[in-house]
Parts: sequence; structure tokens; C-alpha cells
Amino acid sequence: MTRTPLRPLAAILDARRKGADPDAIERANTRQRHEAIRTELRGVGEGRLLVLGVMFFCAFSVIGARMGVLANSEPTENRAVRTQVEILAQRADIVDRRGRVLATNIETHSLYAQPQEMIEPERAAQELVKTFPDLETKRLLEDFTGKRKFLWVKKKISPEQKQLVHDIGEPGLLFGPREARLYPNGRLASHVLGGTSFGREGVHAAEVIGTAGVEKQFDDYLRDPANGESPLELSIDMTVQAAAERVLHGGMKLMSAKGASSILMDVHSGEILSVVSLPDFDPNNRPLPPTEGSPDDSPLFNRAIQGVYELGSTFKAFTVAQALDLKLVNPATMIDTRGPLRWGKHRIRDFHDYGNELPVETVLTKSSNIGTARIAQMIGAERQKDFLGQLGLLERMPVEMPEAHGGMPLTPKNWSEISTMTISYGHGLSTTSMHLAAAYAAIANGGRKITPTLLRRNGPAYGERVMSGEVAATMRGMLRKVVTEGTASFGDVSGYSVGGKTGTADKPKPTGGYYDEKVIATFASIFPTDKPRYVLVVTLDEPEVYSFGEKRRSAGWTAVPVAAEFINRVAPLLGLRPDVEPGRPTGITLTSN
Amino acid sequence: MSYLEYNVKYVPTGPRKFLYINWPLALLLIAVASVGFLMLYSVAGGDLSRWAEPQMKRFGAGFVMMIVVAMVPIWFWRNVSAVAYGISLLLLVAVELFGETGMGAQRWIDLGIVRLQPSELMKITLVMLLAAYYDWLPLKRVSHPLWVAIPVLLILLPTLLVLRQPDLGTSILLLTGGGALMFIAGVHWAYFAAVIAAGIGLVTAVFESRGTPWQMLNNYQYRRIDTFIDPSVDPLGAGYHITQSKIALGSGGWTGRGFMQGTQSRLNFLPEKHTDFIFTTLSEEFGFIGAFSLLALYALIILFCVVSAIGNANRYGSLLTLGIAVTFFLFFAVNMSMVMGLIPVVGVPLPLVSYGGSAMMVLMIAFGLVQSAHVHRPR
Repeated sequence: MTRTPLRPLAAILDARRKGADPDAIERANTRQRHEAIRTELRGVGEGRLLVLGVMFFCAFSVIGARMGVLANSEPTENRAVRTQVEILAQRADIVDRRGRVLATNIETHSLYAQPQEMIEPERAAQELVKTFPDLETKRLLEDFTGKRKFLWVKKKISPEQKQLVHDIGEPGLLFGPREARLYPNGRLASHVLGGTSFGREGVHAAEVIGTAGVEKQFDDYLRDPANGESPLELSIDMTVQAAAERVLHGGMKLMSAKGASSILMDVHSGEILSVVSLPDFDPNNRPLPPTEGSPDDSPLFNRAIQGVYELGSTFKAFTVAQALDLKLVNPATMIDTRGPLRWGKHRIRDFHDYGNELPVETVLTKSSNIGTARIAQMIGAERQKDFLGQLGLLERMPVEMPEAHGGMPLTPKNWSEISTMTISYGHGLSTTSMHLAAAYAAIANGGRKITPTLLRRNGPAYGERVMSGEVAATMRGMLRKVVTEGTASFGDVSGYSVGGKTGTADKPKPTGGYYDEKVIATFASIFPTDKPRYVLVVTLDEPEVYSFGEKRRSAGWTAVPVAAEFINRVAPLLGLRPDVEPGRPTGITLTSN
Repeated sequence: MSYLEYNVKYVPTGPRKFLYINWPLALLLIAVASVGFLMLYSVAGGDLSRWAEPQMKRFGAGFVMMIVVAMVPIWFWRNVSAVAYGISLLLLVAVELFGETGMGAQRWIDLGIVRLQPSELMKITLVMLLAAYYDWLPLKRVSHPLWVAIPVLLILLPTLLVLRQPDLGTSILLLTGGGALMFIAGVHWAYFAAVIAAGIGLVTAVFESRGTPWQMLNNYQYRRIDTFIDPSVDPLGAGYHITQSKIALGSGGWTGRGFMQGTQSRLNFLPEKHTDFIFTTLSEEFGFIGAFSLLALYALIILFCVVSAIGNANRYGSLLTLGIAVTFFLFFAVNMSMVMGLIPVVGVPLPLVSYGGSAMMVLMIAFGLVQSAHVHRPR
């Protein structure tokens, strides 16, 4: 191909004849040929290049124009998410009466999987189990290789766990942001706060809904976006609550009780400053309801508000107060206390033999069942029922907790005379500790009904009058004497004048009748008695303590010392100044741990 | 035309060749690559060593490679075209048989020293072979059915192999690039008209076959098409890339948020933010102005290639330059269109900007060939 034959031959011969160089002709021929090809090519090539150029230009224009359009567009989130009902993860905080946070939110992450995007499901499953030992490799692998397009792996994971999962490097494992409820104080006020769980769940958010306690009661308020900046203010005082829990926990252990509860309430406003029920739980990790055994023994059970018990001799105060108010007796009136008191097939006995008769005041301070039953006979069933109803002891307590619905008092079907007599000393009528606290608050504040609340109130909130101020004052004096001279002598706290009434009630058997050795020990107290501000109810479930060589269960030996320690600790926190009057030491100091 | 027909006298020789390199083109390449370095630095959150530094080293090596390729006479490359194509094809088959799987596709082959993606190599060697073929083929026969069938086979063979990996993006690039070269070489219009008609038929068939046992694409490929048509169908799944990148472009606006200020891309909303979707970072941080400037740089590169090809009397050199220009054009046009939601998402990187060694090397070798054609053109 390097040399084309010189053609026509005539041209060579012609060149030879003229003496020209045939090579020059060859070069000229080559050039001619190149030019011919180039011309030919140009004809086709130029047209094609033009088309190509136009296509390039169009493509550049389209891309450039698209850039402009997108640059001009508003950045919007994708539509599909917005067309759904938006999931509001926001939830207002809950604070105590001084604005300290009891419940707030924290940003965590959820972990979900899109198996179709997975590259190495086997390795992903193995690595996940290393981070979350509670998962099962086999189960995960089934999910990852199955037909599902989406599945939750973990609802809440910590930042550390998130990093570990991220390091697996599996594109089918994805994270979604998630607001979770956090109770920074752990178990503190767990029964009040209740708990939350996730409602509707999306990848980007999940609803947090209240499942118990005030979280459930005020769910609408807490979830309302308008209240995002205004936390729910409770009447609880965090410091008092913490002290109360420690004292009660120590007391429960010391008295070998299986459960305990306490309520501390302002007698003028009805604000509950602390309410404790033991055993308790951590609302951050709320346990599941028990599937077997009595629900009363679950830590989720709120003994102070749900627990309905016969509260025993603490009721004697109401009988005496009503009798005084009806002017049937005065504190010095002598009451027949000869026992046992027979009424039909029933017998009413006293713990000690108090002789033939006692004055009304001593009936209360020494806690004579017979004496109280005699006073109740004077009052009669109708008037007793009315009075207890006025005190709120026959209806549900309107405390702001869904659990309060469980606290319905158990009243006798037929309010006979024997019922009247047993109810007068606290048997045959079951109520919650909260009922008792509210009724004692009425005695303490001068005779006006109180509605307990968990929300912060400003100033007193008295209801109707249930007894005269004078009767209330007399009652306070008697209750003080119960502590100084009567059954609650361990309740005398140095510096604070405490008054109250003990109650030891036999626990009813589920099959009927009463246990001999299982009691509910209660101490309902008010302090300071000269100008009462607080009511405290301490209840111990099945306490038992060895003192002075004897096994003792009565409230005076169990609930009262715990209440005394309670007041000893809490009164300074409430800002109460100790009186100058020196008191006797209780002799028992509870250490908390 | 044979290389022996060149008038050697007019072709620069020895070290003087260095001066004849198309330097404006080389500078443009450096400019585009520098944009890439900036973006990789930004995407890594101001970390040089994560992506930007390795990318710089690769570009340096690639640039040297380009000069070396440019210094080798173009007729040498012409003569090895067929061999190069053959080797690429063998490697593609080897990948099919013993390749390593990475990110859901079998694309890599481990040569011990380098991990190579033969499909990348195929992008140049196919252009080389087709250019050599049309250089060899007399112009009269270009449109003869037999002589059309041969290049069609040469294109389809690697395309199908790549499609099996599966790598839809590269196979589209091979098919379109090869077709464009045939078009430039002067194959009759009627063939292209027929192919386009058949293509429409094929697309219909692909959609019709969905859900049947003989469906032609992978499920994820169908999903990509679905979400392209309506990204809101699956905003958190397959539509995620497109939705997020559109948000990024929108939030960039005209002037951008400023260097290192991108949120969408830096806050890990976008996977593959340093590879296929790096364009979103650019448009978010430098806005329309930055994105359009990059497009202009690319356009200039194409322009310089086309000018060089028109001025090149050597048919092989001319066709090769145009073929590489078309391939390069397809690269960035497909990537930008995909990021901006103009076409479905196919895995094509932004040339010279996206992080990745194999593609960068191959592109620099391709531009070495362009330079070689430029240096050794008959004058």
C-alpha cells in the first residue's frame, strides 16, 4: 500500500520522455488521493459532526436549564411523608413544685432493617447479636432473608450502640431519630409519673404516649404542641419525695414488711407533697404487669392510691369527732368499756382490759374498740354514714391518676348496727390511705373538707365544713395526747409536736375471715398540732418486729417509729422550725441504704 | 491510511513533542480535577487525608500516565487497538468467572497490584477498536450490512457482559458511545433510525416483562425507574438519593451556602456523597454558579477535543478523539442528569471529580490517547 503503481503507464513514459522524476509524480498522485479522501470524508463527516454538535448543545442546554430550575426551587421535604398525618414526637416536661425536672425527653435512635438493601445478611445478623446479646442470630437471619421489606430491630439504642451498628457497614441497617421519655431521677416518684410507651411509629419519629400515672392522666396536655414550653407542674416536692422514699425503704426493711406506703399532704391546699409506694420500679424501664400472683404484690401497684384496706383504729378519730360534733359526749364523758361486748353472734374485744369505764379522751388515746363501738351506738348508722360520706370516705378519691379509679372504698351492703359498731373502729369498711389522709386533713385544718391533688395549687382550697372548728381543735388536742400518753408514744419527734392515731387491722383472707398474724399497720398523723400544716399517713403491709423479746406487729411498734423518722427528716425540708419544747428521743434511728 | 503514509517530516519528534501537547486541554483537566479535590475535602468535613489526598495522588499518577501515553506515536496505539480490545474482553469474561463481588455487583478483578474494573478499561478499548476499524474500512463499504454487523457485534459483546455483572450505567455508556462512533464514521441514517425504533420496542418489552418469570432487569433496577418517574413513591427507600439530592440542589440556590457549609451532603443525608453524588455537594455549596461553571469546564474539554479532531487529517486519530469526547460527555451528562432527576439513577461517577481510582486512571489514559492523536497529527 505504500506505493501505488504509477498509472497510467503513459504518464510514466511521458515523464521519462520529458526527463521528469517519476517519484515526484508519485508524490503528486498520493497528495491527490489524500485530498480526494479528505473531500469525501468532509462531505459525510461535516454533516455528522454538525448533528453531534447540535446534540451536545441540546444536552448542555437541558442540563444547564435543569440546574437553574433546581437552584430556583425551594428545598422541600418529600411529599409522601407530609401527606400522612404527622407524628408529633414532642411532649412537655413534668416538673415538681419548684420547677425541678421529673420527666423530660431525650433524643435516641431506633434501628430498623430493609432486608432488600442488605448485602450480607448473615454477617449483619452475627454482628448485631454481638452488640445486642438479647437478639437471636437465627431469628434475625430469617427476617433478613425473608420477604419482609421493613422490620424494626431495636426501638431505642444508645449512641454507643448506634456507632457499633454503623461500623458493621451494612447498608440495609438504618437508623431513625426518636424522642424517648427520660426520667432523670430514676425510681423517684415512679408511681406518680407512671410511664410511657411508643404509640404510632414512623421511621423519623414515634409518638410517646402515657401508659400510667400522670403521664396517662395528662396525656393530651403533654402532647399538645401548644404546651411545649410550659411543663406540667406537680405538687410533689422532689427533695421531700426523695427523703420520704429513703426513710420508708429503710422502715420497710427494719420492720420486715412486704410493702409500705406514705402520703404527705398539705392540709390547707390538699397538695400532695410526696406519695410513696414500695416496692417501686424505674419508669425508664417500666416492668410488664405480672401474669401470675396477686397484682397487689407487683411493684406497679400503687398501695397509697389503689390499695383498699381496712385501716383499723385510725377510724376511731372520726367516730369521736362526730360524737363531739353532735354534742353527744364531751372529752370527759365516761364510756362503758366492759368486755367482751357481745352483739348477736359477734364479740368485740379490746387488746388490753381497760376496766369498767373510761373517759372519751382515753378511749381514743388507749384505742378501746369497745368504747368506740359504744359511742357509735349513740351516733347510729344513718348519721355515721352521712358523716363518713361528707369526709369523702365512701367514694373514689378524685386524685389525678388513672390508678385512682381502682381505689373504690368497700362498704357493707347492709349498713346494720353491727356494721356501724365495727366501722367505728375501722373494720368492715375498706378505703385507701389517700382517703384517710384527706379525712385527717379535715380535722387538721379546722374542720373543712379537702380534695387531694397532684397538681400545684396556690393557697388553700377548702371544701364544705364537716365539723365545727372547736371540735377540730379538741380533736387535735386528743390526737396529740395519743402521741404523748397513748399508743403512739414512739411518734413524739423532738422539736415538732406530732399528733395522730394508730391503726392495726388484721388482713382479710381471700377465702373469708381474717389472718391471725398478718396485719396492716397504719399511723395517720398531723403536725405541728398547734398550727397544723401537714398530714402524714404511713402504712406498713405485714410488718413484724422483735422488740423487748416479743414479736410485735401493732402500729405503735411499727408504723409509728417509721413516721417519726419520716417527720424528723422531712420537717426541716418543709421549712418547719422545731419548737423549743424538748421532746423525748424515739430511741430508734433508721438509717437508709 | 497507513502510518507509513504519514509525512514523518511534519510530525514532531523527540523531546520537542512535549511542546506540541494540547496544553489548554491539560490545564482544563487539572482545573476539573481540582474542583474534585475541593469537594472531597469538604465532604470529608475538612479532612484532607480521607478522600482528597488519595485522589490527588491518583490524579498525579494519571497525569504522568497521560503524558507517557501522549508521547507514544498514535499509529502504535492504532496497531494495538485490536489487541487491547481483546484483552479487555478476556478480562470481562474473567470477572464473570472469578471476579470479586463488591457493593452488590461483580465488577472487580484483583491483579495482585491493582484492583481493576475491566468494564472501565472496555470504555476506551472499544472506542480504540471502532476507530481503527473505520480507519481500515474503505468509506464505500461503511454502510454495507455485513460491515455494519461487525462493529455492532463488537459493541454488543462487551455490553452484554457488563450488563450481566450487573452494571446498567456502564453498559448504557458502552452502547451509546459505540453507536455514536459509528454515526460519526458515517454509517447510514437508516440503521440508526431502525435501532431507535427497536430501542423503543425494547423499553416496552422491559416494562411488559416485569413480574413475569423472564423479567429482563433486576428488581432494584425497576425500582430505580419507578422512583425516577415519581420519587415520592418511596422517599425513604430507592427514591432517597434523588429526593435528598434535589433538596441539596434547591438549598444551594444561585450562589450556594459557601465552601464547607453544605448541610444535606455533610450531615450524611446522602450515601455515596463522595462518589456518584458528589455533584450535590458542589451545587449546595457553590450554588448554580458553581455547578454551571463545572458544566462549562466540561463543555470546554469537549470543545477542545472536537476542534482537535476536526483539524486532524488522520482518520484514526480523529475518530478516536471524537469517540473519547463522546464517552466523556456521556459520563458527566448522565451523572448530572441522574443527580438532578432527569434520568433514572444509574451508577455513573462524575468524571475526574468523583472519588475512585479505576475510573480516574482510565480517563487519564483516554486523554493521553487524545493528546497522542493531537501531537502526532499530520501537519
